[in-house]
Amino acid sequence: MPLYFSEREIVLPGQLLSDDSKRSGEGTYVLGSRVYASTLGFATVKNDKVCVIPFKGAYNPQPGDKVIGIVIDVKPNGFEVSLGRHLTATIKIPDKKEVQALNLKVGEVIYAFVKESGLRGVFLEGGEKIKKITSGLLVSMHPSKIPRLIGRRGSMINMIKKETGCDMIVGRNGLIVIRGPSPTNEFAAVSAIKLVEKEAHSQGLTERVENLIKSILGGGVESEE
Amino acid sequence: MKNEKLKLISEEGIRIDGRKLEELRPLRIEIGVLDKSDGSAYVELGKTKIFAAVFGPREVHPKHLALPDRAILNCRYHMTSFSVDERKPLGMTRREIELSKVIREALESVVFLEEFPRTSIDVYVEVIQADGGTRTAGLTAASLALAEAGIPMADLVAAVAVGKVEGHLVLDLCDIEDKYGEADMPIAMAPRLNSIVLLQLNGRLTKEEFRKALELAKKGIMEIYQKQRDALRKKYSEVSLMEV
Amino acid sequence: MSISQMKKSLTARIVQEKIYNLLMQGKRLDGRSPTDIRPINIVTGLVEKADGSALVSMGGTKILVGIKTEVGSPYPDRPREGSFTVNAELLPLASISFEPGPPDERGVELARVVDRSIRESRCIDLEKLCLIEGEKAYILFIDIYVLDYDGNYYDPSTIAVLAALATARIPRYEVVNGKLQKTGEYFNLQLQSLPFTITFGIIKERFLVDPQIEEESALDVSLIIGVDEKDNVVSIQKNSPGLIPENLLEQMIETASEKTKTIRQKFCEALNIGK
Repeated sequence: MPLYFSEREIVLPGQLLSDDSKRSGEGTYVLGSRVYASTLGFATVKNDKVCVIPFKGAYNPQPGDKVIGIVIDVKPNGFEVSLGRHLTATIKIPDKKEVQALNLKVGEVIYAFVKESGLRGVFLEGGEKIKKITSGLLVSMHPSKIPRLIGRRGSMINMIKKETGCDMIVGRNGLIVIRGPSPTNEFAAVSAIKLVEKEAHSQGLTERVENLIKSILGGGVESEE
Repeated sequence: MKNEKLKLISEEGIRIDGRKLEELRPLRIEIGVLDKSDGSAYVELGKTKIFAAVFGPREVHPKHLALPDRAILNCRYHMTSFSVDERKPLGMTRREIELSKVIREALESVVFLEEFPRTSIDVYVEVIQADGGTRTAGLTAASLALAEAGIPMADLVAAVAVGKVEGHLVLDLCDIEDKYGEADMPIAMAPRLNSIVLLQLNGRLTKEEFRKALELAKKGIMEIYQKQRDALRKKYSEVSLMEV
Repeated sequence: MSISQMKKSLTARIVQEKIYNLLMQGKRLDGRSPTDIRPINIVTGLVEKADGSALVSMGGTKILVGIKTEVGSPYPDRPREGSFTVNAELLPLASISFEPGPPDERGVELARVVDRSIRESRCIDLEKLCLIEGEKAYILFIDIYVLDYDGNYYDPSTIAVLAALATARIPRYEVVNGKLQKTGEYFNLQLQSLPFTITFGIIKERFLVDPQIEEESALDVSLIIGVDEKDNVVSIQKNSPGLIPENLLEQMIETASEKTKTIRQKFCEALNIGK
């Protein structure tokens, strides 16, 4: 069965991708017996399925995802946590004492894991798996670009950490906390993230990000003033 | 009133703005123009100028309005006070409320709402200058904004108005042709699906004229559809291959 | 219409702390110094159906202003003057925090603050807008739309209003046999002053100008100061709850005077005005 696209071609909603309805994967739909793109993105074949990797799109939480959230409500049996502008998650803790022991206040930032996500909403793991983040620079990027920021086996994020001298915590939902030795170093890390977000899909990105950081920091990692 | 009647189409079949009967006005499309939205587009069709922006899918507030099996699509079509010849009073007119509804329903026909239960997708169409064909150009812009936001849909929506002016069928009416012509028929299609998603008629056409007008509209829609796709591809063209 | 408080988006505490800590070192999130304004871009005449229009961006904030003229009766207490009104709408396109609907208190406040700068600096010569004393006068409708909101919509709104006014071509009317008609000619407004505003954000005992959106949510309080080209202070608005340390005021007025000069210079360059 033929495919009507070249690997990683940019495809648009409504574009014909395949004649084999059994090969319809993410970002596609079937009409008649043919497969069409439903989302703007790159067409590709994954596990023999025709898929579209979207350029943009809502974050779809998966169990086990590490996320960064802001506590927006404290309740007797848990917390409500904002995972970015469109999404709220719940932490359910049956034991009131345990809720108090966590000592989380509205406006505080936490690092947590997704427990489940479905029709009833998004739930995060409670207890010891929650880490409070008490300082750092909180920045957001589009969730669909997070895999690019991490890079293959962490290549991109590790390079940014090394070059800027900053510690970075990345939430799959698009929130990132940066802690660096000086504002200039943190600014370099933010600029790197912005460049990744803007040019997520272009070639030679790692090198350009590295050059950008070097141009901001002037070659060396600045030390504490 | 002056005695001489306004002549909208010359003997040679040239329209008041210099176009041929079956010619679109110059179309300019820009994608991703408003940063704070999830997707946006700017469309200029002649002097008609429109911004569209999309937010979502996002949680519905208040929560009881959410639907358990699909997303709610909200749409607001609105004109700035200075977009028209006579200043439009602030607030929504009856016309704007009606157009918001028909635009929303056109988009609901192609968006896969069932993929996002309990959420809302909000579409805002802001007309900054109206010179005829604002609902159709608004739809053209809104569908681009949805695509940029990564919202899944069966097809892009492309739209245009056709009409009858001084006995001639014409494509893409400008304001003065709409005001003084005999008929105005806005049409929006999902071209890939060969389907109509918005259809209105204001005026009178014979059955034969309707059939021809529809054909003419299709021709204009295919031209717009092509430009929409070009604009989207161009937006991501620097974005060639991923490094992985 | 609601006059209750608008919902304010929640800000993470660490963001507020960060902004404050940076400010203590004279730095900001986007690399600016505390008294740097964001880049300004001005496009005029985008809306041909308006008598004057301008699209202005200040960093990521975009404002569209259009002016329409009508002829009506002058106010009885000012029979020799025309008039103007300013309206503002925070469009839902601009931000997730703006709701569709009639202008809320923020929109009304924006319109009134801009109105005040224009009015008190006597920017528009209202006597020139009189057509027949006590009977007919021009009324300018100045409408502000916030298109994209990345913090501080006050300063770019004032710039956009002035750019639209400065480039406006107002259709001239005449009364013939008791009937009002257009002459087909146009006239310019010839502005008498250029009053710009500077928005200040204060955190504890420090201030910054032109806050972008993250900074805005971390501020203790904010204040807008308008200054004209003769260095007169022409409008002030404290537009949020909070305490302004008294000893900062003088310094802020000085900064406003200095920074409005920067804006005025950019404005005149962009519009090719020899001021």
